[in-house]
Amino acid sequence: MPRHSHAYSNGHASYGPGPSNTFSISPHRFQPRTQPALRWRRQIIIKICLMAGISAVILLLIFPSFRLILLPSIGMSSFLSDDSHIPTIRHYDLSNVQGSARGWEKEERILMCVPLRDAEPHLPMFFSHMRNFTYPHHLIDLAFLVSDSKDNTLPLLVDYLEKLQADPDPHQHFGEISVIEKDFGQKVQQDVENRHGFAAQASRRKTMAQARNWLLSATLRPYHSWVYWRDADVETAPPTILEDLMRHNKDIIVPNVWRPLPDWLGGEQPYDLNSWQESETALALADTLDEDAVIVEGYAEYATWRPHLAYLRDPYGDPDVEMDIDGVGGVSILAKAKVFRAGVHFPAFSFEKHAETEGFGKMAKRMKFSVVGLPHYTIWHLYEPSADDLKHMERMEEERLAKEAAEKEEAEKKKKMQESWSSPRDQWEQDKKAIDAALKEKEEKLGGGEEGPHVHVGDDEAAAPKVGLKAGGGGNSDA
Amino acid sequence: MAARALRRSNPITLLLGLLLFLGFLIFMITPSSPSVPRVGSKSRKSYSGSYDAPPVVHYYLNNLTTSSEPIKNREKVLLLTPLARFYDEYWANLVKLNYPHDLIELGFIVPKTREGNAALVKLEEAVRKVQTGKKKDRFSGVTIIRQDFDTPVAQSEKDRHALAAQKARRAAMSRARNSLLYTTLGTDTAWVMWLDADIVETPPTLIQDLAKHDRAVIVPNCFQRYAENGVKKVRPYDFNSWHESNDALDMAAKMGRDEIILEGYKEMATWRSLMAYERQEGQSIHTETTLDGVGGTALLVKAEVHRDGAMFPPFAFYNLIETEGFAKMAKRLGHQPYGLPNYLVYHYNE
Repeated sequence: MPRHSHAYSNGHASYGPGPSNTFSISPHRFQPRTQPALRWRRQIIIKICLMAGISAVILLLIFPSFRLILLPSIGMSSFLSDDSHIPTIRHYDLSNVQGSARGWEKEERILMCVPLRDAEPHLPMFFSHMRNFTYPHHLIDLAFLVSDSKDNTLPLLVDYLEKLQADPDPHQHFGEISVIEKDFGQKVQQDVENRHGFAAQASRRKTMAQARNWLLSATLRPYHSWVYWRDADVETAPPTILEDLMRHNKDIIVPNVWRPLPDWLGGEQPYDLNSWQESETALALADTLDEDAVIVEGYAEYATWRPHLAYLRDPYGDPDVEMDIDGVGGVSILAKAKVFRAGVHFPAFSFEKHAETEGFGKMAKRMKFSVVGLPHYTIWHLYEPSADDLKHMERMEEERLAKEAAEKEEAEKKKKMQESWSSPRDQWEQDKKAIDAALKEKEEKLGGGEEGPHVHVGDDEAAAPKVGLKAGGGGNSDA
Repeated sequence: MAARALRRSNPITLLLGLLLFLGFLIFMITPSSPSVPRVGSKSRKSYSGSYDAPPVVHYYLNNLTTSSEPIKNREKVLLLTPLARFYDEYWANLVKLNYPHDLIELGFIVPKTREGNAALVKLEEAVRKVQTGKKKDRFSGVTIIRQDFDTPVAQSEKDRHALAAQKARRAAMSRARNSLLYTTLGTDTAWVMWLDADIVETPPTLIQDLAKHDRAVIVPNCFQRYAENGVKKVRPYDFNSWHESNDALDMAAKMGRDEIILEGYKEMATWRSLMAYERQEGQSIHTETTLDGVGGTALLVKAEVHRDGAMFPPFAFYNLIETEGFAKMAKRLGHQPYGLPNYLVYHYNE
């Protein structure tokens, strides 16, 4: 049987005669290995080991991340730097966090600072902006300071942040998030009228400055290359704003800040008057003031004749045009972290007669940092009507209501008129029927007649005024 | 024979080829920029591979206290040292401080000079020894920062005190201090203790002794030990702690905006009364005096003073610079500095 013999030749020798009767798959015929073969195998093993070693070393050289996985597992952790095996020791080289024009390519981290007070109504809008940022979110660390808030700002903020970090899209997740609560016992109320009243400005600005300093000093870390200050009440800003500002590679840079207005106020208006260039008049004015005085822009009390960034806007201008400035507004500031590390802060006292962001600009200039504004790159601040505006709007509303009431009255009058027009027509209709009936009777009696068309003409005439009235009404409502 | 040679070299070439191919594959697969967002800072990054969004962390700074009983209230102290040279005596003294070490966080800033590199090596070794040593001696954290700007002049004793070089030197010193401070100040820091690298002897209770006074800014008197004809003596060393004088104010009024007044130079007689000379031997070490300028060799500051914005001006602030400018800025922010003329700390003697 050929098949049988075939099976045998394929190693079924185990069933054949042998010292033990156990199953074995050893070859049919045993051939002792020669010495050179053994040596050859040993050589191969050595070569494989050598090659594996060399390739491991090469891999380690090419991919530093392998070191962290490989080295501790083979007991060579002493080759690692301190921070990875003693968690309490951290090393940083500040030369690596200088900030560059294309930070997103170099994975430069941004600390985004947002001071908040009674900002509940602005949070939904603010978070929609956050989601739209095109700068890699994981490179942005968020820092919020909630101070002296009487509304629901804090719980709402935390709620939004937690939702943001739990987003199914991992690209939405931001870096480290710190929410700091600290009250400064501010007495001045934050409504628009008070906020912008001249008398309250100096102390308000100083408290704002204090809040900003607390926020920054508690959250700035040695791995941050940039710091971005952003107010919560920005209505419209390009999602690429971080990259757009960063591209200029300046120590401190601000966009132009305007706000939209209702049509009756002219449609739009410069908002942030704190970004300006120093003027001789203002310097002379500063010399006459006492040590604690604070010059605030945009008030008749201090006529400084400074060129303001806001007023230099050309809606069709090149958004990349730069302008050197001395005071900066705080709505949206991008600054290199090294500026803050050097000690520049928001003076909560009168520094060269300025406080907060304006003093910040002045101090940065004093330390020879570049401070730049972009006159034609505009972001839009939320429009909050002032008390005067509100009064005006109330008046307008009243006028509108009065007008509506008048219109309604008019309409009713017209309706009545129509009714009074149509009621005679009804009458005519009845009369007509009566006449028709009478005529018919007559016709029947007389056998045909030419009065019929007369009645039809009368019918048309009755409809015509109705159309005219309708057109008139439409014209009224348009006017 | 030829077939045998082929068979012998085959596995090796095959293996080599396979390895090369694998290496190439890995090289191609590993993206140059990571596709998975990296978490947190470089230092706190977890290498476990799993990605979770960093949590929202809440800090209640309203509850942060800085009191006269810092140990009882478990108040965190940030101990900061600009380090240009490493003295073993400094480190030994630091480790001996008996304020609970788990409440002390250390911060160092080291310049990128040859001297700085040498100091860094010694510092790292010392830090590693302590942080892997006895649990009780371990500090809660150590941050070592390399400076990102150049120190203008060599730090030899003679150069260091030359009047002309002072402004640039102290401006750089201010920047170093500010860089260190504003990268290490945390949300839970209650006090900031400035201790220079050349302070080699202090009482071990330094921190709680100074904190006991519950002052916004407080500075002990910095002296130096020396031997004269074999007799051991002490002499005043730090002249930056002073009370303002009218002469100095007049001098400042006549000066340009960027000029600075310095203490301890014959060319500049300010007639300020210096705390260094106000020491009364045998009197209570807790005698206080108000100050207008402070020295930074040893200085305890409430963290809120720095948070309010009081920093070390690297420019002429009211014609003052560095720690003296800091005292002025603290005063402008409503924080009065105090000094302890009879409480001594000792400077290294070169």
